[in-house]
Amino acid sequence: MKWLARHVDLEGITPEDLAREITLRTAEVEGLERFAAHLDDVVVGHVQSREQHPDADKLSVCTVDVGGEEPLQIVCGAPNVDAGQNVAVAQVGTRLPGDFKIKKAKIRGVESRGMICSVRELELGEDHDGIWVLPEDLQRGASVSEAMDLVDWVIEIDNKSLTHRPDLWGHRGIAAEVAAIFGRELRELDTSLPETGEEPGLPVEISDLACGRYLALAIDDVRVEPSPEWLQRLLLAVGQRPLDLLVDISNFVMLDLGQPNHLFDRAQVSAGIKVRMGADGETITTLDEEERKVGIEDLLICSGDTPVALAGVMGGEGSKVAPETTSLLLEVASFDATTVRRTASRVGLRTDSSARFEKSLDPCMVPDAAAHLVRTLQSIQPDLKLPSAPVDVGAWEDPSKLVSLEGEFARSLLGVELSDEEMAESLRSLRFGVELDGGVLRVSVPSYRATKDVGEPVDLVEEIGRMHGYFQIPGKRLIAEVSPPARDPRQVLTARIQDRLSGGARFSEALCYSFQSDELLERLGIADEPRVRVVNPVAEGEASVRRSVVPSLLGRVEINRRNRDEVRLFEVGKGYLPELTDERGQPGEIHEAGLVLASPRSKDAAFNASARARLQGVIEDLLRSLGVSIEAGLRWRALGGEDLVPGWANPGRAQVLEVSVDDECVALCLLAELDPGCARSLGLVDELASDVAAAGLSLDALLSMPKAPASYRPLPKFPGAKVDVALSLPVEVACADAELELERSGKGLVASMELFDVYEGPNLPEGQRSLAWHLVLEAKDRTLDEGDLKKFLGRVERAAERLGGALRRESTVG
Amino acid sequence: MLERLESLRQDALARVAEATDAEALRVLEKELLGKEGVISEILAAIPTLPQEERRDTGRGANALKGELLEAIGSKRALLDEALVEALRDGGGFDPTLPPATPARGGLHPITQVRREVEAIFTSMGYEVLDGPEVELDYYNFQALNVPVDHPSRELQDTFYCDDSHTVVMRTQTSPVQIRAMERLKPPFRVIAPGRVFRNEEQDATHEHTFHQVEGLVVGEDIQVGHLTWTLRRLLNELFERELEVRLRPGYFPFVEPGFEFDVRCPFCEDGCRVCSQTTWIEFCGCGMVQPCVLEAGFSGREDVDVSKLTGFAFGFGLDRLVMMRFGIDDIRNLMGGDLRFLEQFPC
Repeated sequence: MKWLARHVDLEGITPEDLAREITLRTAEVEGLERFAAHLDDVVVGHVQSREQHPDADKLSVCTVDVGGEEPLQIVCGAPNVDAGQNVAVAQVGTRLPGDFKIKKAKIRGVESRGMICSVRELELGEDHDGIWVLPEDLQRGASVSEAMDLVDWVIEIDNKSLTHRPDLWGHRGIAAEVAAIFGRELRELDTSLPETGEEPGLPVEISDLACGRYLALAIDDVRVEPSPEWLQRLLLAVGQRPLDLLVDISNFVMLDLGQPNHLFDRAQVSAGIKVRMGADGETITTLDEEERKVGIEDLLICSGDTPVALAGVMGGEGSKVAPETTSLLLEVASFDATTVRRTASRVGLRTDSSARFEKSLDPCMVPDAAAHLVRTLQSIQPDLKLPSAPVDVGAWEDPSKLVSLEGEFARSLLGVELSDEEMAESLRSLRFGVELDGGVLRVSVPSYRATKDVGEPVDLVEEIGRMHGYFQIPGKRLIAEVSPPARDPRQVLTARIQDRLSGGARFSEALCYSFQSDELLERLGIADEPRVRVVNPVAEGEASVRRSVVPSLLGRVEINRRNRDEVRLFEVGKGYLPELTDERGQPGEIHEAGLVLASPRSKDAAFNASARARLQGVIEDLLRSLGVSIEAGLRWRALGGEDLVPGWANPGRAQVLEVSVDDECVALCLLAELDPGCARSLGLVDELASDVAAAGLSLDALLSMPKAPASYRPLPKFPGAKVDVALSLPVEVACADAELELERSGKGLVASMELFDVYEGPNLPEGQRSLAWHLVLEAKDRTLDEGDLKKFLGRVERAAERLGGALRRESTVG
Repeated sequence: MLERLESLRQDALARVAEATDAEALRVLEKELLGKEGVISEILAAIPTLPQEERRDTGRGANALKGELLEAIGSKRALLDEALVEALRDGGGFDPTLPPATPARGGLHPITQVRREVEAIFTSMGYEVLDGPEVELDYYNFQALNVPVDHPSRELQDTFYCDDSHTVVMRTQTSPVQIRAMERLKPPFRVIAPGRVFRNEEQDATHEHTFHQVEGLVVGEDIQVGHLTWTLRRLLNELFERELEVRLRPGYFPFVEPGFEFDVRCPFCEDGCRVCSQTTWIEFCGCGMVQPCVLEAGFSGREDVDVSKLTGFAFGFGLDRLVMMRFGIDDIRNLMGGDLRFLEQFPC
C-alpha cells in the first residue's frame, strides 16, 4: 500500500476496503497480508553498556534496556555494536523469519537473553555486516515495526485475472484503478528527462518488426552501491530481493510502471545496438550463467553482432553491470508479445519481464519509463549525467483508438439504468476520453488500454459495468417460450444403464481416468493397439487415451479385491480410436458400458456359478430391461478361429453378441473371462486369486438397434403342465440349439423353459453331456392331458436322437 | 368285551389328554381310529363274537369312536392354539442381528450430483448436450477467442494429442458452446456437463481429470441480470435455501464482460476450510458471450442473424460441489475406483 500511495492518496482507506473494492471492480485480490508482521515482537532496545566477552575475542556482552524493569544481558557477535546505540532486539520467545525461536542461552559461559538483530535477520534488506543501528529518538520497548514506520499491507492479486490487462502489471496501473474507484486524483509522474549532453548517441538498428520500438539512453557517473532503505523496503514488501542500486532501480521501474527495461554496462555494448533475429546454432549466455541455444525465431539484442540480451526475456552475462561500472546504457523497448512468449517458453525462462511483454505492452510507455528511471536514480545519485539525447527508433504505432458506443446497447446488455452522462463519467474516471454525440459515446481509448483489451463497444460496456459494480445489477427472470427440451437418446440410454446396473444388478459405478497407463496395457496384453496419445502426459507412461472402458476397470480389480471378496464395477464412458480419425483430425469416438465382476474362485461347480456366467446374466437382464431380448434371433457366439480376441480375454472363454448395423456385423457386447496369464500379471494370485469376468457393451450399437418395447400377452386361462426333461447330447450341440429343438417339439405349447443342470461324467456316452430343463407347457384353449405330454416327449426323444443323443429322463411335476 | 371297551375308553381318553404335540396326537389317532386301529380291529372282530354281544359291542365301539374323534379334535384345537401362542412368544428375539442384505451397488457421487443439476436445468427448459473429450483446438480455443499464441493458454496446462497441437484433451466444457451454436437455432438454452483435463500435479485438491457443467443461453436481449437470476435459481435448488451471492469482474476470453460468481459459504459464518477462510466460495466463471464467439459459432449460418443476438455463458466445477455435499477431503478419491469410497454414497 505504501507503494500505491506514491501514486494516489490513500488517506482514510483501510486495507480491507481497498482489497474488497479491487476485487469487486477490477481483479481478484487473493491475499491481504501485513508486511513484516513477524517484526511486531521485535522491540527497540538501548545498549547501556558493552564489554568484551571474557572467553571470546569477537563477542561482546551488552546490557540492553528494552523498557522493562531490568535491562537484559545479551551476547552479540556484531563488530558494530556499541554502548549508546538503539538496536532491534528479539527477546526470548520471539520467533524470527525461518521459524527461528529465540531461547535463553549460555554463550561461552555467559548468559544471553535475546538477540540484537541485523537487517538481514529481520528480512528487511541484505545488510549483514553488523547489527541494525536505529535512530536515537525512539522509545525503548516499542515495536520496531511501529517505531520505524514499517507497517504496510501487501495486496496479492491473482495473475490470471490480469491476463488481459497489461496496464495492471505495475503499481501505477493499479493506483489508477484505485483512483477511479475511490474518486481520487492520480498523481502526476515526472516524465521529463534531465538535460542531456551533446555527444552523439549510440547507434541503434532494428532489423525485425518483432521489435516495435527501442530507446537507448547513455547514463554516466553512476555508482554501484546498496539501495536506500525506502527502495529496499518497497522491493522486499513485494517479495523481491534487493541486490544493488542499479538492479533494484531497474526492477523498481518495471514493478512501478509495468515496463521492463535493462541496464547494460556501456563499455560492453560500445559497438552499437543491433536488434535482430537469431541464427541457427547461435548461443547466448544469460545472466543466470546458463548457455542457451537460440534460433531464427528468437529476437536478440546485439552489440555489433554479438548477442548481449535475449530480447524481453533476460540480459546477457557478458554485458552485465559490474561493481566497478560507472556508465550505463539503458534499454527501454517494445517487443512483440508472441515472439517473447515463444522464446521464453522455448528456452524455459519465464521472467518478470517476459510475463509483461507477452501481455502486449503499450509502446507509448517507453520514453516515460526511461525518464522515470533516470529521475528516480537521480534522486539517489544527483551527480549522474546524460551525455547524449536518447536514441528512440522503431516502426511502432500509437495504439490509441476511437470506439463508438451506443448508450442504449450498454444499458440493455447490463440491464441497468445509467444515463449516457453517467456512463461517460465512469469512463472518464478510468482516463478514457469521452464525447457525447446524441445517444452515442465517442470514446478515445488511451494507448495503455488499447493494445489488446479495449477495442470493441462491448469492451467499454465492461468498463462501465465494473465501475458501476456488477454486484449491483439486479437479477432478471429469464422468460422464454416453454417446451420440453430435446433429449439426447444416448444420455437417456446411459441413465437407464446406470440405473439398472447400480440398482438391479447392484454394481458400483466407478469413474476412471481417460488415460490408461502403459503398464496396465502391457499387463493386459493390449499395449500394441493404436491409441490417441498426449504428447505431454502428466507422467511418463500415462500418455495413452483409452479406446475402451474395460481395461480401466480391470485395473481396479486388484486394489478392490484386497478389501472385498466380491468386486462389481461398471462405468459408462467414451473411447477414442485413432484409426477412425476424420478429416479435421478428430479421432473416432465410441460409447461403451464396461462391467467387471470378480470374486474368489467358487467351489460351486454349477454351470452358471462362474463370474462369467453371472456377468452374462447381468448383461442379459440389462438388455431385457432395454427392450433387447436374447431370444429374438440374437445369440451369444463363442469367439475363436478368425475372431479378434482382446488381449485381456481368455480366448477359450470369450463370447460375443453380434448385431447388424447398416448391413455390417458389429459387436453389441463382448464378454469374457479374464485371461489367466493377465490375471497373474495383475497380481490376482494367492489369496487374491479370483474368478474374473469383464464385458464391454456398445451404446452405439444399442442405439442403432430397433426397439422392442414390452408388450402384453393375455394370462393363460388353463393351467399349464410342468415337466422336467434331461437330454444326453454330444458336447458340440449348443444349448441354444437344443432349446430350439425343444421349442419345435412343443409345437407352440412350450410356455417356458429353464435349464437347471449340466452334467458331464460317468454314465454318459463318450463325448456327451446331459442337459436338464424345467419346462412348462400350456395350451390356450384347454387343459393339457397325459396324451399331450406323451406326444411331446415322443417328439423330444426323436429330436434328441436326430442331434446324436438321447432322452435320458423325464418326469412330470405336480 | 364291553369291559374291554370301557378300559380302552379310559386309557385312550387319558392318552389323548396327555398328548403334547400335534404329531403325537396324529400317531395316537392312527393307532386308535386308523384303518388298522384298535376301533377298526374291534369292529372287524364283531362277527366272531357271540350273537348277543354283537349289537352292544357295535354300538359301544361306534360311540367310543365318536367320543374319541371329538376328544382328539378338541385336543388338536387346543394344541394348535398353544402352538400359535408359542409362535407369538418373543423370547430370544433380537432385531439387531444382521439381516440377509442385498449386495451393495450405486451411482457414483458425481453422477448423483450431475443428475441433480441436469434435473434443475431441464426443468427450466435447458437441453443437455454432450461433447467429445478429445477435442479439436479450434473448438477448445480458437473459436472461443483464444488464438494460437494467446497467453491464457499457458494457464490452462493443456494436454496436447499431437505435435501440431490441433487436437487436445479439452481443458473446459466451453467447446460445447461452439458445437451448440453450429447445430441449434436461437433462441436456445443448453447445459453441457462432462469431464475436462488439465496437466496438473495431483494432490488432495488438484486433479488432472475433473468435471464441469457448461451453460449457454443465446437469444435476443439476453442480459447480465438473466445470468445472475439463473445461477441463483440453481444455487437455491442445490442448497435448498437462499444464499447470498456476488458478481465481480473475472477474465475469460470468450465472454465480455466476464465475471466471477461467488456464493456465501453455506458451511460457516466466519471462515472455514471449505471457503479457505474467506466466507466466499468462487462458484463459477461466467459472462456475456463475446460477439466474436457468436460470430465464430454461427459462421456460415444463413438462418441466424448474429447481430441481433446476445447470450450468457457459465461454467462451474462438479467435483467441488460433490466434495462440498459429502464432505470429501481428497479429490483423488473421485477417480480412484475404490469400492471403500464408492459404497459410501448409496443411491
